[in-house]
Amino acid sequence: MSLFILSMIGLSGGLAVGSGLVAFLTVLGVVPRLANLTKTENLLSLYEMSIVGGAIIGIWFSLGDPAFSFTNSLLVIIGLACGMFIGLLAAALTEVLNVFPILAKRIGLKGKVYILLWAIVLGKIAGSLYQWIFFVRS
Amino acid sequence: MVKKVYFRLKSRHWIKDKTVVLKDISQIITEGIPHESIENMKICELTEADKSLEVVDAMKVVEIINKNFPGTDVQVVGPTQSIIYRKEKGKGAKPILFIFVWLLLFIGAGLAVMNFHEDVSMQEVHVKIHQVITGEIVEHPLWLQIPYSIGLGLGMILFFNHVFRKRINEEPSPMEVEMFNYEENMDRYISVYENDAWKRK
Repeated sequence: MSLFILSMIGLSGGLAVGSGLVAFLTVLGVVPRLANLTKTENLLSLYEMSIVGGAIIGIWFSLGDPAFSFTNSLLVIIGLACGMFIGLLAAALTEVLNVFPILAKRIGLKGKVYILLWAIVLGKIAGSLYQWIFFVRS
Repeated sequence: MVKKVYFRLKSRHWIKDKTVVLKDISQIITEGIPHESIENMKICELTEADKSLEVVDAMKVVEIINKNFPGTDVQVVGPTQSIIYRKEKGKGAKPILFIFVWLLLFIGAGLAVMNFHEDVSMQEVHVKIHQVITGEIVEHPLWLQIPYSIGLGLGMILFFNHVFRKRINEEPSPMEVEMFNYEENMDRYISVYENDAWKRK
């Protein structure tokens, strides 16, 4: 009986988290943006499956305890992919905040918003590198 | 002969000199009236003490045309007002302000990403991924984290479609669309609240 209750709690918890994750990605519009960039809008359903599959592998990695012995080069690829995904999310959030048009207008930089965008991009890279190389090690 | 004028206002117009004539702010088709005389009709004048923008309502244009060519059938097509902005001389980018804002965004972005990483325990996740992939427990998986940091920037650039804009497609980037929406909204606000036609009452 307690096992049944436990599995019901697990199932409903998973439902809530899963739908939350998908809703989050949908609101930010990262997937349509990528499909649009690569002109693969017709393959959207495959991208959905990729997200679901990735989430399930993520669950396995975080809740289970698998240990492979791949080389560091695979780590580089995974790291790059993780970073790009977070970067997409960050960019989507920044856009929602709507700060750029106002800022650009205030300082008379119309048409050159990209210079400000580079400030954000380089700042993110610098902050991230600083954190991993110095901040968490001190 | 029937006298007819069709005009379509531009929603936005930047000027350098003070006087605005009708052809600056609209496309015109005339019937039975000399085209040039309509084209060069003075609409308004931005004096130096005046504000930096002026809203020209289509009704005002109709009024002016009717005053000069009584009995003309005037047809308005498209936007019902045009916003005239004065192009300010020597007022481009302000370097010091710009550098300040640039540094502000740079440092702020760095801080924000560090806070985010702390918030979601990114360090622990990276250690875990390193352990899963290579089988060894390392306290600082830099092999994962340095590519991650570079990818972070790449992802943002990809989203804004900046670097690959020419190569991938010609569509506007989300940033340009955002900029456009912002300006549209401003124009809509201005055309209601800065419009003399409504203010008089």
